[in-house]
Amino acid sequence: MTTVSTHASVGAKIGIWSGAFSGTWTIARRELASYLRTPSGWIIIVLFLLLTSTVFALSALAPGRPATMRSFFEACGWLLLPLAPAVSMRLIAEEARAGSLETLMTSPLGSMALTLGKLLGACLFLLVMVLPTLVLPAVLWTLSDPAPDVGPIIAGYFSLLLLGLLYLSVGLVASAATTNATLAFIATLFLVLTLLLMGTLGRQLPAPWQQLCFAIALPPRLNDFAKGVIDTRHIVYFVSLSALCWTFAASLLGWKRWRER
Amino acid sequence: MPVARGLFGTSVLLDVPAKNDTAMVEVHQLHKWYKSVHAVCGVSFTLGEGEVVGLLGHNGAGKSTTIRMMTGYAAPDLGHVTIDGIDVAEDRVRATRTLGYLPESTPLYSEMPAEDYISFRARLCDVPRRDRATRVARVVEQCWLKDVRRRRIGALSKGYKQRVGLAAALVHEPRVLILDEPTSGLDPAQVRETRELIKGLSQRRTVLISSHVLPEVEQLCSRVIIFAGGKVRADGSMATLLGTGNRTYYVETRDADDATLKLLTDRWRSIPGLEQVRGDGLTREPAPALARHRGNWRTWQLDFAPLDAAPHDALFSADPREAIAHAAMTSGIVIRELRSQTRSLEQLFMRILESSAEDRA
Repeated sequence: MTTVSTHASVGAKIGIWSGAFSGTWTIARRELASYLRTPSGWIIIVLFLLLTSTVFALSALAPGRPATMRSFFEACGWLLLPLAPAVSMRLIAEEARAGSLETLMTSPLGSMALTLGKLLGACLFLLVMVLPTLVLPAVLWTLSDPAPDVGPIIAGYFSLLLLGLLYLSVGLVASAATTNATLAFIATLFLVLTLLLMGTLGRQLPAPWQQLCFAIALPPRLNDFAKGVIDTRHIVYFVSLSALCWTFAASLLGWKRWRER
Repeated sequence: MPVARGLFGTSVLLDVPAKNDTAMVEVHQLHKWYKSVHAVCGVSFTLGEGEVVGLLGHNGAGKSTTIRMMTGYAAPDLGHVTIDGIDVAEDRVRATRTLGYLPESTPLYSEMPAEDYISFRARLCDVPRRDRATRVARVVEQCWLKDVRRRRIGALSKGYKQRVGLAAALVHEPRVLILDEPTSGLDPAQVRETRELIKGLSQRRTVLISSHVLPEVEQLCSRVIIFAGGKVRADGSMATLLGTGNRTYYVETRDADDATLKLLTDRWRSIPGLEQVRGDGLTREPAPALARHRGNWRTWQLDFAPLDAAPHDALFSADPREAIAHAAMTSGIVIRELRSQTRSLEQLFMRILESSAEDRA
């Protein structure tokens, strides 16, 4: 009897939820190790540290300047713009190009677990990249009198991680949509720039669209973090947008099963 | 009961039951379309426990698409696949736990040491932590990777990479192993080693080998499935497939007078399915050259109708050798040799491809 496999739910059919998240940590660890085993990963880390440290030295350590890390976090935000897409572009696209995606997708691992593992691995790399900069507030603390305000520094690091998570999640979608890593890089850069410029774009649009653009825009939220304000609405914004991207990337992989030759 | 229909006609399907009653893999009426191209058209077969099956077919025949649907990498448009009773579309993760798969290109992570990669695959397949080191060590040993286990995969030769892929596919001790072109791109020595390795592995699990190398399939597999134009054109044990449609027997008998030879040929002609006797009593045989070597021995060629065209007769037998020998014995003629002409898998494969092309035309 010919059977049309329609009795399974769509989610189960495309295998996005199946297998829970048993292999997520395994994928994340391999992903992190792959960055650290290749020169490109170390080049990204060194470049990031070199540039941010220079900005810190010129802005925060100059005599007579206020003891703040605001310029450092601004520089980090701009540096993430090319670096995060560079990290995320190969997450899925490279696996698809090399053929190793077939091995992963025929392992007992659901698409949700796979994409979460990939995202987690990239976030861990970002953490490894940012972690050494914790020396900078310690230096500022030692050299400045009076001591710097801790609130904006904590909020700054928090915003940096949330921004990184969002950029990497957007990059994950772009990487899942194509087998070309360069294309994934360009698409991520375009999407992230759109998020950054949403406010400016919104001003040119009629009222209902303007409201929507302002709601999605990134800069006002980053400004709040820079002032030392950790608003839960902003956290929800970053986390939910990232979760949406992650789900979308997993669905793309599941959908590809139908297209696959 | 094996039924051969239209072996060299429209299609060939010898519906041979699996070696064991337990079907480890069931492929049921799979269909796959790519836009207007019907790439896989109603493919069905089962793989029994412990069977070693070869999957043959020209490029674009639908083999790789079928394998990808079996492994859950591609979704079928119609039909379903079950592995150890679990529907791949329903629960891909559970179904693939019992599956080891080596894709054609053997994709590996070049920056990882071989042992780390195998261990990574073991973790992906949920091999318990306490067993992991033992299992990894076992497959490293089994696939002759001990000397290179700490080397980066990117620095290994193609043969070693193939073995790493195989070891990774085996590390969770799957009951079903699917190997897509396992020896492609290897040098003759590596091909030999890999074949030996697969032979060893096939003793304990169901193995499906997709290959273009026909002698490899002949050596390794007990059963063969031939694909052409997205359909299964032949499915049967090697012995059955090579014997079907190839019902020619050579008999060497002691020479006798014309009356006895006439009696012999008449008795042979009464065997159901016999179409032609060549080298009979009408012509003085053997030829002088043969006679010099063989004395008074005479060779005969007996052509039988293919199984699908054979008459429906109670006395009909797929293997007429006993009847041939019995006829000679009752005619008082001694047989020195009785053999069937064996057809190579390549000949069979080419015939099936030709008939498939004719069908499509």
